[in-house]
Amino acid sequence: MVKTTEKKKWQQPGVVFQPQVYQSMQRGIKQLVQAIAPTLGPLPRIVASQRNSNSKPELFDDGATIARRIIQLRNREEDMGAMLLRHTLWSLHESAGDGTATAAVLFDNIFDHGVRYITAGGNAMRLRRALESGCQAITEELERQTIRLHGKHELARLAEAISFDPEMGKLMGEIFDIIGEYGRLEIRSGRSLALEREYIEGMYWDGGILSRAMIEDARLGRAQLENPAVLISDLAIQEPQDLLPLLEAALQADVKSLLLVASEVSERALSLVLAKPNRERIQVVAVKSPALHIDARRGALEDLAIITGGRAFHKAAGDTLNSVKAEDLGRARRAWADPYFFGVLGGRGNPKVIRQHIASLRQAFKNLSEADDRKRAQERLGKLIGGAAVLWVGASTPLGVELRKELAERTAEAMRGAIRDGVVPGGGVALLNCRKVIEEKLHTAVEPDERAAYNILRQALEVPARTLAYNAGTDPSTMMGQLALAEPGCGFDIVNQRVVNMAEAGIFDSAAVVKSAIFAAVHGAALALTVDVLIHRANPPESLQTG
Amino acid sequence: MDDYVYQLAAPANFGCGGKICFAARNTGLFRSEDGGQSWQSLYDSLNLAEPLPSMAIGVPPNFERSPRLFAGVAGGILRSLDGGQSWQNSDVPKPPPIVAALAFSPNYENDGMVFAGTMEDGVIFTSNRGDNWVSWNFGLLDLNTLCLGISPAFANDETLFAGVQSGLFRSANGGRAWREVELPVGYEAILSLALSPNFGSDHTLFAGCETQGLLVSRDGGETWQQLGQDVFTDPVNAILLAADFPTNPEMLALHSGMILYSPDGGASWTPWREAELAEAEASALLAPLGFGAGQPVLVGLADGQIIQV
Repeated sequence: MVKTTEKKKWQQPGVVFQPQVYQSMQRGIKQLVQAIAPTLGPLPRIVASQRNSNSKPELFDDGATIARRIIQLRNREEDMGAMLLRHTLWSLHESAGDGTATAAVLFDNIFDHGVRYITAGGNAMRLRRALESGCQAITEELERQTIRLHGKHELARLAEAISFDPEMGKLMGEIFDIIGEYGRLEIRSGRSLALEREYIEGMYWDGGILSRAMIEDARLGRAQLENPAVLISDLAIQEPQDLLPLLEAALQADVKSLLLVASEVSERALSLVLAKPNRERIQVVAVKSPALHIDARRGALEDLAIITGGRAFHKAAGDTLNSVKAEDLGRARRAWADPYFFGVLGGRGNPKVIRQHIASLRQAFKNLSEADDRKRAQERLGKLIGGAAVLWVGASTPLGVELRKELAERTAEAMRGAIRDGVVPGGGVALLNCRKVIEEKLHTAVEPDERAAYNILRQALEVPARTLAYNAGTDPSTMMGQLALAEPGCGFDIVNQRVVNMAEAGIFDSAAVVKSAIFAAVHGAALALTVDVLIHRANPPESLQTG
Repeated sequence: MDDYVYQLAAPANFGCGGKICFAARNTGLFRSEDGGQSWQSLYDSLNLAEPLPSMAIGVPPNFERSPRLFAGVAGGILRSLDGGQSWQNSDVPKPPPIVAALAFSPNYENDGMVFAGTMEDGVIFTSNRGDNWVSWNFGLLDLNTLCLGISPAFANDETLFAGVQSGLFRSANGGRAWREVELPVGYEAILSLALSPNFGSDHTLFAGCETQGLLVSRDGGETWQQLGQDVFTDPVNAILLAADFPTNPEMLALHSGMILYSPDGGASWTPWREAELAEAEASALLAPLGFGAGQPVLVGLADGQIIQV
């Protein structure tokens, strides 16, 4: 809570000029980085946060969440620098899932040295351009270092390197070996202390069965249909007679079982299909149309129609069941429904059309930049690929479960990136290896601003490795000395405190995460260096209000 | 009922003291004790009212020590523990699948793994020598499986391929997940597969298409080349490689009832044993000891006959 006098000060309008701008921004950035840096590496320290004196402290080891919790600094100018970094880190977290601590220490170092250079007379805009050009060279060098991982053992080692949780690493390796980069993984709270996984074959959606009377085998707790026809719709079926054209079309086509997907089916309409004589002729299982969001629902119905080779009936398009024909119904080998979900296996849609649909969604996924849109597209793709994994996360306390679930989410996101874009040597070695290309650029650079930028980057590339060592209680300078004498491909195994071949030891980082982290840090810091004036408004923006 | 030979199979010791071979036919499953001279029905013990078409026959690599047999039929998989004298239904996923292909892990004796390609239910597999089968089709986006090909180095690389109605899929983790293999012929039905005996090192495999001829990949399926484009205009139903391929680059391809021979790994093709097979419409091929000079080749015909060439 901000005190009243400080609150008043916060509300005063004002304009702040150099050198106060840089000095205060630097202090703000440092506060954030000092809170996040201890979490970098396999031997991290924990950050605790408490909302108020009555609540339990929350424990974090993830840079993005820590940054998210720091919603305001006491000093308004310092706050501006901190919030600039906070925004950079959160965007990175949303796009890459990890790498925020690396980005934070890089950002801080680049900003520090940049300020020093500009204060000594350098040009901020030219420095920014050179920093961004150097970042491009680093990204290309990281691309050269990138390798692909295959098999559950390699993936497990990567997952362990991301999560620092051997049990989670092992299961994530197995899961991602099966589901691949786009596959569907649900992370749910478990009932035991351990982690457990389950695989579900086929596609399934949220949208449970509309009447438990349709579950014939109560022991199983789900209804099962063999060779069903599928009515795909978001229609609200109120009257029994609304169903008659559908049932007639199905019976004429010799359909023995029907999965009826609708947004609503009234009790009266359900009683028609549940009547014993009708059930003997055709077994109907009615389920709720998937998804609440209108776009998500439309997408889910489209996917279901393509998978089963049927037609989707949309309420918004004025569709009704009056004109339904047998060929409008989708077909599948099996379908099931329980109180929460329904699924189909072996949809009879045209496999070529299904694959073309998946290819177009993959293309669309690549072009999406918003995290929520990417997540929705990813979920759609995961369903279409035909199967899902469920990871049940257990721990000794509810807080522990939540922490471990967050860790699992982050690990999963980073794993997807690693499978999609490959991996690079871990422990900060990939970035250390990039010093060479920056040194080459430095040798050929003539402009002072350009030379300054490459010098800044060369130093910054050492910072993640040094921070890792520091966090593990190792002297960073000693470690750097050992690495200077080591063979190419070697790095410092922080856990075992020795120099090893990183590939042989299986110490990797997701290439996508490292690339995203360096990009976010360099571009964020370079932009921050061009800030010359701060303007305070009378009322702080809503997003800065304490929550 | 018209007869037709879908598949032929023989134990690994064929020719080395044994001359047992099996034929999966439209009229049932048959066994020969004399290298294909005479055949006896193996379904007599089932007392069937009418013949049970058998599309696939599987003879495990350790048949001479443990005479198990698997037969793929419409409705599931039959298993015999006594070389075909008696049969039992295997526990397969519902609804009952139509089994079109069977493939054994080369390490079957230890891992007990058998894969079955089904017409509508993708790939099902057992890891307990057929006691029960489970379906496992992550990523297999077309469940109409027509053929399977398993790496001879499966114990190490866990690689197998599934030819489906609209292309080819590969699993690099023992069938736990499948990924589509991009072919230069689009969404083409893959009817036959043959993996080099040295697939673990040469990464060579051949795929027979329905309308686009024969394809070869020398990098485990990453890139493909079309072979004999002027020759193959109809379905390529079977491919046989020399036992020591690619040292000996000879191979046979069953192309629309006719057997073609290539002496050079598929670069050139000529009709094989034209005089002997002039009137015959071949439907299945088996070289129990591997294809090569002087080694027997059993040819199943579209009228149910089986001849040794």
